Amino acid sequence: MLTHPERAAARRDTLIFVACLVLSLVALALPTEWRGVVAGGLRRTVLLPLLELQRQTERLQVLTRRLDAIMASRDSAVRAAQFLPQLRAENERLRELLALRALTPGSFVGADVLHQTQAGGPLTILLAAGSAQGVTMLAPVVTAEGLVGVVTKVDGRSSVAMTWAHPEFRASAHTADESLRGIVAPVVGRQPGSELLELRGVPYGDSVAVGTHVLTSGLGGVLPPGIPLGSVLGVSREQTGWERSYFVLPAAHPSSVSHVLVILNPGADLGPAFGAGERARQ
Amino acid sequence: MSRRGSGALGLTIAGLVALQFGVRPWLGDPRVAPDFLLLALLLYAIRSRPGSGALAGFAVGLLTDALAPAAFGAGALAHTVTGYLAAWGKAIFFADNVAVNAGFFLAGVWVRNLIVIVASGQVQSGHPLWHMLVWSPLMGLTTALVGVAVLLVLRRIGATRPALP
Repeated sequence: MLTHPERAAARRDTLIFVACLVLSLVALALPTEWRGVVAGGLRRTVLLPLLELQRQTERLQVLTRRLDAIMASRDSAVRAAQFLPQLRAENERLRELLALRALTPGSFVGADVLHQTQAGGPLTILLAAGSAQGVTMLAPVVTAEGLVGVVTKVDGRSSVAMTWAHPEFRASAHTADESLRGIVAPVVGRQPGSELLELRGVPYGDSVAVGTHVLTSGLGGVLPPGIPLGSVLGVSREQTGWERSYFVLPAAHPSSVSHVLVILNPGADLGPAFGAGERARQ
Repeated sequence: MSRRGSGALGLTIAGLVALQFGVRPWLGDPRVAPDFLLLALLLYAIRSRPGSGALAGFAVGLLTDALAPAAFGAGALAHTVTGYLAAWGKAIFFADNVAVNAGFFLAGVWVRNLIVIVASGQVQSGHPLWHMLVWSPLMGLTTALVGVAVLLVLRRIGATRPALP
């Protein structure tokens, strides 16, 4: 039998629990804008030193990973440095040939990915670069393999990107030869381990071969054209006589990336930077 | 708990928070790596009243939501429930048995992840079975391993006796 003080304490515990539950439900029901304000405020205050610690850790990890490669290439670099003027001139020529001007220094910023515990997969990723580094809202986030997502929240020294796995992600796309256009969206409710994209809205009369590369088309103005989204795996569903949808194997996986590039001038065609010509020929 | 025990627990929790941000990135796949933050919450909750456990859970959940704002509030809800249940369950789980404690930590991770997935609406849009049957148990196992090691250290310095409800 509980004594009076014990009963009072138990009642207080229950009240606190219920209050916390209600506050959690209120947080869940907050409009997106308000959520961003609260989350951003926490990241800029309480979490700032912890995020800085994680940023340094991630940086150290990347540096450690690269150290071996740097050591291995050091001798080659020393040798190559002897021919630096010739190499510089050759590099300029090659850049022109490959039309890599689209991704010139200053048009992007590198950012470490600060991986967090997220049950259900990375729908968003936290980047260790913010407005101080020039990151802006809706800036595309890419790796060498392809698109990872777009920036949806920007703080001073960090930002949040919505990955392609987010249910609200959409990108206008076309095949590498630009013959077919459609909308790419994440596949939801599939079997375990099948984090795929889907190319929707392809006319029924057209067909896309397995392995065809799918790139952003630039329509809509958010994502620049030419960023690889993935390659076609096969037909996912079709509306007879109307349209077909295709499974697309994503080019870049948010859960495994540790470093990304945030594109700062999304107007540029990034196709040449990602080898669009080569993809089209394939 | 003795003053020495409280101090040891406070240091342990601070250490676990530092591990979450300073060491966890080194431990490979974030879906499997131990969740030091949840472990700190569980260690605190089993030494606290259920109200304090819920309050601490809410605070931890809010911070995790700020780091992954895809479903803001889901983490707060999940950690609140986990902290509250952990504080209530201490009479059962705080036995002098390593396996029982390991099971407690594993269950804590699993329940937290389940609530996050349900509250964030990923039941309709994601791969909940895969995460609940594979990734969550694996994360629970690694968290349990670390949790048991931490408990053994705390026990050695006499900081393991829970507060009575």
